[in-house]
Order: sequence, then C-alpha cells, then structure tokens
Amino acid sequence: MASRTVLTLGARPLGLSHNLCGNLTTLTGLEWSSVCVQQVRYRRFPKFVVRPTTRRPWHVRKWTEKKDEFLDKSNEQFVREVIADKYAKTSSSPLKDGPWERNPYLRGTRRSGVLALKLGTLIHWKKDGTPFTVTVLQVLDNHVINYVPPEVYATYPSHCPHQGLRFGLQVVGSLSCDPRQFSKPYNNLFVKAGVPPKRWLTRFLVTPDAAIQPGTALNVNHFKVGDYVDTQGRTRDYGFQGVIKRWGMKGMPKSHGTTKSERKMGATGGGGDKDGIWKGKRMPGMMGNYLRTMYGLQICRINTRYNLLYVAGVGVPGLPHTFIRVSDTVLPRKQRTEDQMSSVAMPTWFEEDEEDPLPEEMFVDDVFQFTEPSLELEAEES
Amino acid sequence: MATTIQNVQCLLRSSMSRRFQKFCSRAYSTRKLTNAEVRQKRINLYDAEKERQLAQLTRVEKIEVQHKGVPEECTLIMNKDLSTPFNCAMHIHELLMTRSALALVNGEPWDMHRPLERDCELQFLHFQDEDSRVLNNAFWRTCSFILGHVLETAFKDEYYVELCSFPPPNVSSGSFVYDAALNIGDWNLSQTELNCLSRIGYRLSFADLRFQRLQVPVSVANQMFADNRFKTQQISAIAAKSKSGSEVTVYRAGDHIDLSSGPLIGSTAQIGRYSVCAVHDIESPTFGKLQRVQGLALPTQLAMHSWTYDSILRPRAAKLNAGPLPELRKPQHTQKEIPAH
Repeated sequence: MASRTVLTLGARPLGLSHNLCGNLTTLTGLEWSSVCVQQVRYRRFPKFVVRPTTRRPWHVRKWTEKKDEFLDKSNEQFVREVIADKYAKTSSSPLKDGPWERNPYLRGTRRSGVLALKLGTLIHWKKDGTPFTVTVLQVLDNHVINYVPPEVYATYPSHCPHQGLRFGLQVVGSLSCDPRQFSKPYNNLFVKAGVPPKRWLTRFLVTPDAAIQPGTALNVNHFKVGDYVDTQGRTRDYGFQGVIKRWGMKGMPKSHGTTKSERKMGATGGGGDKDGIWKGKRMPGMMGNYLRTMYGLQICRINTRYNLLYVAGVGVPGLPHTFIRVSDTVLPRKQRTEDQMSSVAMPTWFEEDEEDPLPEEMFVDDVFQFTEPSLELEAEES
Repeated sequence: MATTIQNVQCLLRSSMSRRFQKFCSRAYSTRKLTNAEVRQKRINLYDAEKERQLAQLTRVEKIEVQHKGVPEECTLIMNKDLSTPFNCAMHIHELLMTRSALALVNGEPWDMHRPLERDCELQFLHFQDEDSRVLNNAFWRTCSFILGHVLETAFKDEYYVELCSFPPPNVSSGSFVYDAALNIGDWNLSQTELNCLSRIGYRLSFADLRFQRLQVPVSVANQMFADNRFKTQQISAIAAKSKSGSEVTVYRAGDHIDLSSGPLIGSTAQIGRYSVCAVHDIESPTFGKLQRVQGLALPTQLAMHSWTYDSILRPRAAKLNAGPLPELRKPQHTQKEIPAH
C-alpha cells in the first residue's frame, strides 16, 4: 500500500515514513534496528544502500504538542501581529555585524545549493520544434541558517574522513512558519540567523571561500539559465511491495495449473553448494522513499517573480510538493568554462549586484518562447 | 539583634605570642546575621504560636458547609476551626482538589487551607473560569510572596537581604513586584543570574508547598520580624487595620514566612512557569534606597508556547513596574495605603 507523500503548505507533513516512526531520537543511543538494506541496481554484493527510517542523532526535537490554547481571539490576533512585525524585516538583509567578504569563483569551488519545492512538470519546445519535459522547482523562502567552518565540521559525527578539511557546512532552511508549532530547541536553531523558524532544513558542503553569512536570503538568481544542476530528493514512497512491482520480475502464468504462485519470486538461489541465498537477493520489501540524485540537469528557464527554476528532465525524484535539494552539478563534463566562472553569483546573488532590474522570464537560447512568431518547419519528404 | 562575643580560644591556640593575641582580640561581634538563621527563628516562633492556638481548641464543633457548583451541590458536615475548603474538596472530587486555587466562602475570597469558622456557602475558583479576576489577583499576590522566598534564599550568607514589601497586585501591569534591600552594592544581575533566581521559584512548584495562614498577635509578629527594619515599622500599622486591632496575618509556605493580607492560592504546584525578569533601583520616601525585583508567572492550568512567553511577555515584565512605591503613612491621617499587602 503506497503511503501518501503529498504535503499541504501550512499543514504538517503526512505520510513520510521516517516521521511516522514515532521514536524521539536521543543523543546517546540511536536504535538502527529499523534499517532496511536494499540492493543497488547493476551492482553485485557487497554494495548496499542503507535506508534508515529513524532521525539522525544530532537532530533536535522539532515539533511540539504545546499550544497557546487559552488565548482569546483578540489575543491570538495580537500574537500573530507581533510575529509578523518581528520577522518582517528579515526578508533580504543579512546580519548587521558586517557582511562577509566575497571571493571569486575558482575551479574547485563548491557553492551552497538551495532548497526548492517540486511543483510539477511541463512541456517546452526547442527552436527546431522538438519537445522536451521540464520540471518546475520553486525556491521557496530560502535563508541561510548557519555556517560551520571545516575545522569544526571535522568534529561532527556526520563528517566522513575522506572529506578531510576541504568543506565547511552550510545549513539552509526553507518555508518560514509560525514559531509556535515548533519546540524551543528547534526555534533556537534560528536565533543566530535572525529569521523565522523554517519547516525544512538541509545541509550543503561548501568550500570556505563560498561560505554565506547566516541570515542571507537565497534567491533563484543564485543560478543562471544554462547552468547544470543536481537535484536530490526522496523518491515516492510505495510502501511494502512485492517482487513484480519492486524488481520487475515476471511472476508465473495466471492459469494452466499455477498453484498460488502467480506473483511470487520463484527460485531463490543455487542451493547449498552455492552458499544458499546470496546477499542482495531481490525480494519483496519497502520500495521508494529513499534519497536519489539526478545529475546534470540543465536550467532552461528562470522566473524571477515567483522564484521558479525550470529544469530540463522528468526524473526529479519525488511527488509534487516535496522539497528538493538543488546544487551545482558535480559531473566533470558539465562544469563551467573559464568565462562562465567570472559571471557566477559568488557566494550567492545579492540585489545590489544588478544595476538594472532583472527581467521576469529568462530563457536559454534554444528554447522556443511563445511570445515569438510560430516556427515554420519545412515539410518532410515522404 | 543578638550579640555574641567572638570565640577567642581559636586565637589562643595559635602559635602567636599571647601579647599579640590579646592585641587581636575584640570585644564586639564580627559574626554577621544570615537570612537562614532569621528564617529558622521565624519558623520556631510560628510553630510555637500555632501549637498554642491549636491547644485552645478543646471542643470539636460541627458546621454545615453548602457546596455550590460542579460536580455536585451538596451539604458537608465539617469541623469548626479545623476543616478547610481543601478538606471539603477532598470529600467531593479529586478535580476540585487539584485545580481549585481559591475558595469563596459566602462570596468572600478564602484561602484553600484556612479553617472555616461557621456555617457557610462554599464555591471553588480555578484559572479557566469565566471570570477569574479575584483569582488572578490572588495568583499575582502569591507570586510576589514567592519572590520574597527567592530573594531570601538565593544569595550567599555574607549578603543579608531585607525584604520591604510589595504593592497591591496589578496583573495588567505585566509583572509582579517585591521591593527589598538586597545589599549587593553596585552589582547588576545579569540575565544568567536572573535565570538562576527564576529556577529557585520554578522548583517550588515541584515541592508542592501549601500556603498556611496564621493570625498572630502583634508581640509575636514583632519578635518574628525583629531582624527586618522595614517590617518592624509596618507591623503596628497593619495590626491597627485588623478586626481585633492587635493581630497580624502571616503566611507560611515551606520554610518561608511573610506578612500578607489578602488570600493566596492553594499550593505552589499551581504555579506553572516562574521567571524573575528584572531588578530596578527605586527610592522610597520612608525606607530609602531599595531594589524593585520584578517577575512573571503563569498558572499550571494555562498552557502557553515558550515563544509567546519568552518573546512577548518577558520583555514586557522587564520594564519598570509603575506600581506604588513602599511608603509608611502616618495612621492618624489615613487608614489606607499600608505598604505590605
């Protein structure tokens, strides 16, 4: 049974199995007993994808049950006005204690990414008439929450030794919410940045020259049309599925004497001589709801008014209304050229960088815009 | 103030010459009075007075108490001068025991642990009532009382804190107040130190201390508060206001005893959040330079999100409370405006 992963803005998320676990993680002991081990396609054992369904040990308790239950309507209205006034000014400016220095983009620099909301898919056409699908991502109310320099990040439990001291940690949050739906430790995470508490948080590993000051707003103009990005999100959750849906096995005929085995796996291995069932044998289990990255997708269009990224490709993981991490691609052949490096928004785009206001819509050159005259294609010879 | 001659034997045992020891010995006391000693003395006097008053009750007489309100209206036969509204609640329902903070005896606000004196009509008040104005004032008064406890127990022994008084409760001012001479010199209490004070008040709710009321004669009261130069001046004025003319109302919660007139709530367990928010310097015409300590509290029954409490209510409670300064007016001119309430 597939559990729903559709999120409604303004309501609590439903259906994400890692939230339904119900265990509040403690910093002392993380029970990893609910880990599922799933085979990675096209690789033989012992390579596995580990899908933990419990919260990371360093996460603070996020939601709270405590509400302002006994406030009058007028008092509730007053509190909402105070919240709005308090956070009204934090839309664009970073912290008051001096802006951080801005370094040039060099080969080997890794910038922060953004947290975008997947809205859905559309079709666009190229100027030669070929259609292609685009996924629309909205960079929704992003702010940088924290930056941890490499020396400090190296002491964190999530730090991997192969990362060395190359990267610092940038925490980015999306979608400001009423602070009263969160717990006190969660709200305290946002005090440094001076922004309202965000519903979603993520981390990006950045090189120290691309560190962004906490409190800075991230815009869709962090990217440019024509940039290649990696999008990472959680795939849609199908729940516990059998082998036919999960692995595409063929099953058995539905008649001609088949006894209770129409959708079964059938054989499991080569017997005792071949050491029984090998690790990674495809079997029924939890399908979907794992992190998946689509690499090297081109941004073919940007809308600056609604902060939309139109990304070419249909494989951005997750259902509409899931949050996607969008960052500069790691693919070697789609890196920026030397002239493109000079025009990169480093560490991010600020409004004062532009003398003239940016147009509302920006397209890649070979995308057909419907404001132009129709294409005239020559008839193919039969 | 009791004076003791310093124990000179410890000096004599040292290896210094006798002549030098005699030179060093003093004839006056260098041992300072501490708040802990004074509080212990008050407790001893309170216990003695309470025993004396109990001994005067030789006969147990019965009274009829009519309970009005939820969960049922009933008549209880209780003991005169012994049974309290809390005892009546024990007979009716556990909900009344836990949530009732104040009682109305014939319409008059009455402490939960104050003995009933005659046949009466009894009602219980709780914080989620339609009209809880009387109870709110009692709650605010209780919080000021607790603030006195916090100030007397928080500081080190070398700092002798003298409590002065607190003004009548004004919930809409945003804070409750206790005026006292903290005698800490120019030290400005930082936010961390205010949090330490808050924690002392907050922990009292776990101790579940009941507020016991006692009417003591003026002589006993004078003995109790002999070490507090402000209270000694106030006692005669308070006694003149009382029914008999020579009695003063005193409340006890755990180890803390203080003067107060109006009703206090039933137990410290009904205090949910407690914070000491600010200390301001004030100047009283009668009592001189004092500190106005301000705090904020919420009952256990009223849940509030930490954001609303910390970001809206606490900054407001830190602003200087404009309540009346402690002042002792001469009794022949007016009968009202007595400092301690």
